Amino acid sequence: MRSFLLNRFAQSLVLLLIVSIIGFVVLNLIPGGPLAQFGLDASMTQDDLKRLAEQLGLNRPLWVQYLDWAWRLLTGDWGHSFRDGAPVLEVIGRHLMATLLLMGSSTVIAIAIGTWIGVRGAVKRYSVFDYVATVGAMVALSIPTFWFGLIGIYVFSLKLGWLPAGNMYTIGDESVLNYLHHLILPSVVLALVHVAIWSRYMRTATLDVINQEFIKTARAKGLSERHILMKHVIGNALLPMITLLGMQLPSVLTGALVTETVFTWPGMGRLFLDSLGYSDYPVVMGLLMFSAILVVVSNLAADIVVAIIDPRIRLS
Amino acid sequence: MTAIAANSPRERWWNSRTAHRFMKHHLALIGMVMIALLTLACVLGPHVLPYDSLYIDLRARFAPPLTGQHYLGTDPLGRDLAARLFMAGRISLLVGFSAMLLSTLIGTLVGVVAGYRGGLIGTVLMRGVDGFLSFPSIFLVLALAAALKPSPIMITVVIAATSWMEVARIVEAEVRSLREREFVLAGRMLGLSATHIMFREILPNAIGPIIVAATLTVARAILMEAYISFLGYGIQPPLPSWGNMLNGAQQYLGTAPWLAIIPGAAITIAVTSFNFIGDGLRDAFDVRGDHS
Amino acid sequence: MTKESRTKSNVSRRDALRLMAAGGIACFAAPNLIGKPDIARAADKKPAGRVVVGLSQEPTVFNPLMAHIETDDAVHFSLFDALFRMDPGGVLQPNLALEVPTQKNGGISADGLNWRVRLRDDVRWHDGQPFTAEDVKFTLELITNPKFRAWRTGGHSLVRDLTVVSPTEITWRMEQVFAPYLSFLTETFIVPKHLLEKEADPNAAAFNQAPVGTGAFKWSQRVAGDHLELAANPDYFGDGPYVEQVIFKYIPDQTVLYTQFKSGDIDLTDQAYITPDHYDEASKLPGRVVSRVPGASVESFYLNLERPQFKELAVRQALYAAMDRKAIIDALYFGVVTTTETFMPKESYYFNPNLPAQEFNLDAARKLLDDAGWVPGSDGIREKNGVRLAFNNSTTSGNNLREQVQQFLQQTFAEIGVQMTISNLPAAVMFGEFWLKSQFDTAISGVTHLIAADPDATNRLASSAIAAKGGKGSNVGQYSNPEVDALLKKGAQTFDPEARREIYYRIQEIVRQDLPFLPLFAATYVVGTKEGLEGWEPNTNTRTASWHAAGWHWKS
Repeated sequence: MRSFLLNRFAQSLVLLLIVSIIGFVVLNLIPGGPLAQFGLDASMTQDDLKRLAEQLGLNRPLWVQYLDWAWRLLTGDWGHSFRDGAPVLEVIGRHLMATLLLMGSSTVIAIAIGTWIGVRGAVKRYSVFDYVATVGAMVALSIPTFWFGLIGIYVFSLKLGWLPAGNMYTIGDESVLNYLHHLILPSVVLALVHVAIWSRYMRTATLDVINQEFIKTARAKGLSERHILMKHVIGNALLPMITLLGMQLPSVLTGALVTETVFTWPGMGRLFLDSLGYSDYPVVMGLLMFSAILVVVSNLAADIVVAIIDPRIRLS
Repeated sequence: MTAIAANSPRERWWNSRTAHRFMKHHLALIGMVMIALLTLACVLGPHVLPYDSLYIDLRARFAPPLTGQHYLGTDPLGRDLAARLFMAGRISLLVGFSAMLLSTLIGTLVGVVAGYRGGLIGTVLMRGVDGFLSFPSIFLVLALAAALKPSPIMITVVIAATSWMEVARIVEAEVRSLREREFVLAGRMLGLSATHIMFREILPNAIGPIIVAATLTVARAILMEAYISFLGYGIQPPLPSWGNMLNGAQQYLGTAPWLAIIPGAAITIAVTSFNFIGDGLRDAFDVRGDHS
Repeated sequence: MTKESRTKSNVSRRDALRLMAAGGIACFAAPNLIGKPDIARAADKKPAGRVVVGLSQEPTVFNPLMAHIETDDAVHFSLFDALFRMDPGGVLQPNLALEVPTQKNGGISADGLNWRVRLRDDVRWHDGQPFTAEDVKFTLELITNPKFRAWRTGGHSLVRDLTVVSPTEITWRMEQVFAPYLSFLTETFIVPKHLLEKEADPNAAAFNQAPVGTGAFKWSQRVAGDHLELAANPDYFGDGPYVEQVIFKYIPDQTVLYTQFKSGDIDLTDQAYITPDHYDEASKLPGRVVSRVPGASVESFYLNLERPQFKELAVRQALYAAMDRKAIIDALYFGVVTTTETFMPKESYYFNPNLPAQEFNLDAARKLLDDAGWVPGSDGIREKNGVRLAFNNSTTSGNNLREQVQQFLQQTFAEIGVQMTISNLPAAVMFGEFWLKSQFDTAISGVTHLIAADPDATNRLASSAIAAKGGKGSNVGQYSNPEVDALLKKGAQTFDPEARREIYYRIQEIVRQDLPFLPLFAATYVVGTKEGLEGWEPNTNTRTASWHAAGWHWKS
């Protein structure tokens, strides 16, 4: 067991190393660089630009820059943003809360609605409801999220004026109600795809349970249908559900990116696009590593859980 | 000479049980019809429609659908939207399909080798797959699109680079389970080379999941192209694509909503159809019996 | 003096003020920069209300001496002061200084090399410390500190022997005569010595995240990625402030910016303003005031003059004649912008109104090319001596309006046998080496040729400024004309505005003749304010609509 875990841990580190190298190379491949934002400034001369490049350490050979960055990362210094000079971790942290809020609420919506649809569909298998739910799920998986968001803005914001068109809250009104008002549209839009996934998954999970022998036994014993259903379906679905949630974790960065763009939500996806647009290397690398670490950690955790359960590995 | 693992009497593939099961899947059939219609429209549409997709007419800007001969209206430069939509469809569908081919090729190669060989090679390859999966795909796609010139070929390569991993995983799992089957052992005892066994014996039997994965990859690739073109990093004008049509429509949402609704609907129809087909194929190839 | 047609309405006031300043009449009190008589005196009225300004690019640099972009100016102008300011009329006004130094009042020596600036004695920093000449010295020295990530060092690098004569007087010597320095100083905000001198690394100072200035507003707080708040400075030495709070809100999408303006969430739209397609609707909104504000940049079709196709004047003239500017402006830009023939902003004192107007005439264009020997080949594209009249055109991808202009021009050029291929790049990529080292064929971009509204366009037009050939500026078109070079040099060494005007008029004439770039239109921005917001006035000589937040107030 221990050797297995050490093995996986070592592999994870190597993985992170490779990810960071590839990321660094690709980022530096992009022509332009962090000084392109001054390219149109009439007052910046070549001397000024050269000086700035030197001061930002951009003139050093790539491998030197990489090693410098990697070494600092290991000591906990994620670098400073080229734009406002703030520490990268702080920058990421600020935007992380916004993204978590969005992802969290959309996940809650997705699980709630998805479970209801999935369970009901399984119980009333082959009914109209089930059919519509299945087709609906497939369509929902096919709709581009940003398009759905744009339609949502058009209908609920521009035409009906019920919901705001963007941002996290109205300045000056930091009440919970205001936050919720701004949260509705983006989280529903983001939840669309997840509702589809959850409903399909819960349907399968419920069907598995319904068909099992012990259900028939329990039914024979006279226990109420609903009681059986709830207890066993949830029990059966719980562990894989946690695994599924774990798999969603890495998409904290990518999943919300387009939604944040459409709704001008100040989250990590928005941060990534802005930083890429300004070639703010430290922040982009920071986001990359953050996301990669999330993936690696969740994979590792999944492996550990499997290792604990699977006796072959546990006893080796 | 291919050893047959499944049905004994040689039968035409369109008569097989798989094909029959597929035909019963109504949604999949609808999907096939829709894709056929869409492809036809994209190929023939621009030739049949009265307006050229490139002709700029500043006096006919922002015409709503069903204005004169502009069946779907016009865009901000006065170009016929229907013609643009179908030209864009050519690019979006082509990019999606090509990305699928490329990623399926790479993924299958990696998966078969890793699954059959196992051991060190297998581990290294699969860890490589994991490495690529750890990369936030959006990062890779956007950064690569910014680094390289955003031509349709580059976009195809970039999308393929982020899609082959799923295929590899599926194929590797399938090959690993097939590896221990009798026909493979028989092949080895007959002295067939590893390459022969991998690609002439195992691969044809793993084709099921590969086709399913491929179909779903097309769907995903079309969505990906829409995403990156929408963000401004994908197909550049004057080449139209469904994604960059949406990018241009965002600004005019309040005044000309059809500019956003129509290309988005096209994307949804195409992707839904491929998903239906993929679902149908998955059910058709699934030999484990009733699972719906 | 050459015949000039006076087309500006407030020319007489401006001329009068200029003559006043030139005549050495000292202005001891900083005149109200707006000059409107109906603003109530601040003394007895408490600042009230709040103004929310919408920006579509996020301000992230708060130390005004560090390298920053236009949107950061909005914040700097409210937090800090400079020695002088430029008012909307183009006249220099004293800000932290008591008077603007000139050769007439002795502030600048006759040979233009020795400068003396007298400062106010009633200014305090936001933390209560008094402002002195030491702060000015510190600021100018920090800019030229090789370790500091300064914005521009042009002009400042010529300063020698900075001497603090007294807390209210400072002198220095210029290494060479440089008239634009006066204007440069209007964009050089003074920073506090007592807070920055003890920092080991001024680039990472805490000051940069919580700046302290002398301006009408103090730093309050910042929510990164969303907005930043400034609070009124009750001890401001100048006129104002009249509002309690100014909030700069970051809204990355211009359409959402407009929507929030419509719904009243923001009171003033700053960079990048309202898009032209919303102008019509916006001007009809109740409770909103929408103005078309001229900007300093000129949107042009830039040519790389080292490409074989563009070396001939006939080709450049033909391309210019093939641009249907009217259609572009009326249809694509909804009539919001206006035509121009020169790089000088129309509001500038140095704008030459006598330049020949462009005429859209495809036949004339074809004739020009035929006469010059450019004959259509088998594919319809003209060629001469093996060179085809085919080239790439690049602009910032994602900018819909520019992309539309490109595609329209592509179609029009095709009608005269010119093949233009579109090849766009994201802004962060385009303005790197591709632009600066002249790697493009042609490009469409809005460019400001002036620095701090000073007419000296050496950085853009002098042959010594061609970076691709080792020069020091941003003459990306690689334009080279010895007469222009000589005139530019002379202009930078002349202080008298009348004399300078003659020089820059001539430069504009030559440039119009040479056509190194083809002007499309003069930038005009659609700025929206909420009804009731008074004291707001645009200023072409600054880069932001929020250049004078001190004067804003709500109608009571």
